[in-house]
Amino acid sequence: MMPTPEFRLSHFQAMVIFALLISVAFGFLSRRGAYQRARYILWSFVFFLIIGIGIGWAMYPFSH
Amino acid sequence: MPDEVPIAETIDPVPVAQSSSYTAEARERHRRDALALTIAAAAWFLPGLGHALLKMWGRALVCFSTVALLVILGAGMRGNIFSRNGEDAFAKLGYVADLGAGSFYFVARALEANGPDVSHANGDYGTRLLATAGVLNMLAALHAYEVARARKA
Repeated sequence: MMPTPEFRLSHFQAMVIFALLISVAFGFLSRRGAYQRARYILWSFVFFLIIGIGIGWAMYPFSH
Repeated sequence: MPDEVPIAETIDPVPVAQSSSYTAEARERHRRDALALTIAAAAWFLPGLGHALLKMWGRALVCFSTVALLVILGAGMRGNIFSRNGEDAFAKLGYVADLGAGSFYFVARALEANGPDVSHANGDYGTRLLATAGVLNMLAALHAYEVARARKA
């Protein structure tokens, strides 16, 4: 098998991709119907980002 | 004492027809349990296969794609794929999480030809993505099992 190309992602890119993939998977597993799923995926994705960025800012004073 | 009733008289004998229907019901339940376990094993081995066997095509496609993307990204970011010879509890736990991806665990090992590099944040994120792929697949397998046992829609 060919080795996969090496990915270099920034912290933010990695977080966005992670949040998107997990939100889609959770949305499809836990909800039925296109509208319910879309709503869940959107909310879950937004909360992932808000909480991730929030934790990042909360840790900022300790890095200096 | 006049109120006392012999124990034998208090137990209603089960009618023959009811008893045979109970046996058929128990047999059906055992059959469904065995089928649910098979579906869970299939779902673990190949992400999405459990839902595909249950004809839940959307969920099957999403499970397969999500786990595949996480594994490809994790391996591409040179995350650590834990082996069974883990030295500490965290390595053993990481192995269990990675193994949750089923056959994709071996795909990840094959993809990561240059080995892991966790000296940078990139590799560390890759390790997390690989573990997430495994845990997500275990969750999907559990969901397929519950659906097969008719506990969930």
